[in-house]
Amino acid sequence: MTGAEAGALTALGALVFLDQWPAVQTMVSRPIVVGPIVGAILGAPADGVLWGAVLESISLAVQPVGAARYPDAALAGLLGTVAALTGAGEGGFPAAWAVSVAVAAGAVGDGVGRFQRRWNGRTAAVVRARVAEGSLAAPGRGIAIALSRGAALGALQTATGLGIIATGGALLAGSPWAGQLDARALQVAAAAMAAVAGVRVLGLGGRRTTAAVLGALAGFALVAWGGTP
Amino acid sequence: MSPYRTLARRLKGERRRVALRSTLVQAVWNYDSLQAIGFGWAILPGLERIRPDVGERAKRLEAHLETFNANPYLASVAMGVALRMEEEIARGAAGAERRLARLLRALRGSLGAIGDDLFWASWRPALGIAAALAALVTGSVWPAVVYVLAWNALAQGVRAAGVRAGFAAGAGVARVLEDPFWAGARRGARRGGAFAAGAAFGAGVAWSASAGGGWGGVAIFFAIVALVWLAGTRVGSRGRLLPPAFAFLVVVVILGAIHHWTGGTLP
Repeated sequence: MTGAEAGALTALGALVFLDQWPAVQTMVSRPIVVGPIVGAILGAPADGVLWGAVLESISLAVQPVGAARYPDAALAGLLGTVAALTGAGEGGFPAAWAVSVAVAAGAVGDGVGRFQRRWNGRTAAVVRARVAEGSLAAPGRGIAIALSRGAALGALQTATGLGIIATGGALLAGSPWAGQLDARALQVAAAAMAAVAGVRVLGLGGRRTTAAVLGALAGFALVAWGGTP
Repeated sequence: MSPYRTLARRLKGERRRVALRSTLVQAVWNYDSLQAIGFGWAILPGLERIRPDVGERAKRLEAHLETFNANPYLASVAMGVALRMEEEIARGAAGAERRLARLLRALRGSLGAIGDDLFWASWRPALGIAAALAALVTGSVWPAVVYVLAWNALAQGVRAAGVRAGFAAGAGVARVLEDPFWAGARRGARRGGAFAAGAAFGAGVAWSASAGGGWGGVAIFFAIVALVWLAGTRVGSRGRLLPPAFAFLVVVVILGAIHHWTGGTLP
């Protein structure tokens, strides 16, 4: 990985941290979107698309309802794809390595997110005190500070993750686990994950069952007779 | 022209600015006041117009910085309601201040429930399954592009329309919440998502059968489905959830080992 690639990935980390919950929430932070972007940055767009879809399928069942704790899908998608793409080049065991990195990144990112929310509590207290004194600019300043801090945390956690991936990839290179899971096996595993997540989150019953059965027939026919890359 | 239309015209630009600012409603989200800072900052352009006096405006802003939370896309409905009621408070309508506080408290739960159910529990998983499957089938970047466009057409559209609807309804915001649009959009997303989940299942069967092992491959696919299904079920006496991501990791390790031993394909 070159310095320019690491810089671009770190900037992407800052952006997706903000998109995940503090700002706009356009969903560019989802693994399905982050994967292809990481692939484009690292010069492997097709692998980025595959890994984006795989890591999206893992994150499908996670719902940010209320103040619930949930894994950081953005960081998981970003670092998981980086581990998969750089691991493949180093002869490690990229699929298991990439999913391990994604799971760990999701947990760490959740912790960083809660840290940011706690820190936001102090910012909010200052904003309220200033407004009580008559300052109308305080909320805007508070928002600018919180967003800047969020971007810095996003960049920092991404840069740290890139360092860990580089070290881990070097340690795994040449191990007995050398070789990589083929794309077809990943497709099978991700399809199973997506199907289960869909039934669990959306539920079945009534017309949804009919839709699922029709979908199964369509999906089978599409792949069996349509051919896939 | 009716008093409402005159008012709506007077605050047209401000309502647009409020809708734009509502995109940052969670910027200072915290465990104490939740979205309140973002909420107060978002409605500030409207307050500026309604309350030209800086001291009075600061007092009303302060009232909005206590606690607020809702689904981030539907928070704009509450912002519209707040603007409308703030105008009534400024005109000196009896009990308007108390009514607004009560309304916002009630809206927190309703907007959270409707929005979370529509966006997080229906629309996002449905789109995610469809996009992930399309990306796996085509290997193209286009499913991701369509995913972002489709999400934002609904989510940012609701945000923009929310301020307008909340402002028009004011204290009668219940009719916005009862609009059949919410139930229809949720139902449509869930049916579409069920179709996509079924398609993922069918595609998985076809992929596993074509990977070189026929029924053996299909059996492995069913074993994977069973494992990730069980992982989503409450296990253990304390009812802990085994995260599905760990189950996926186990699946990938097993598949990798099979791949390693068989020299490149699923059995």
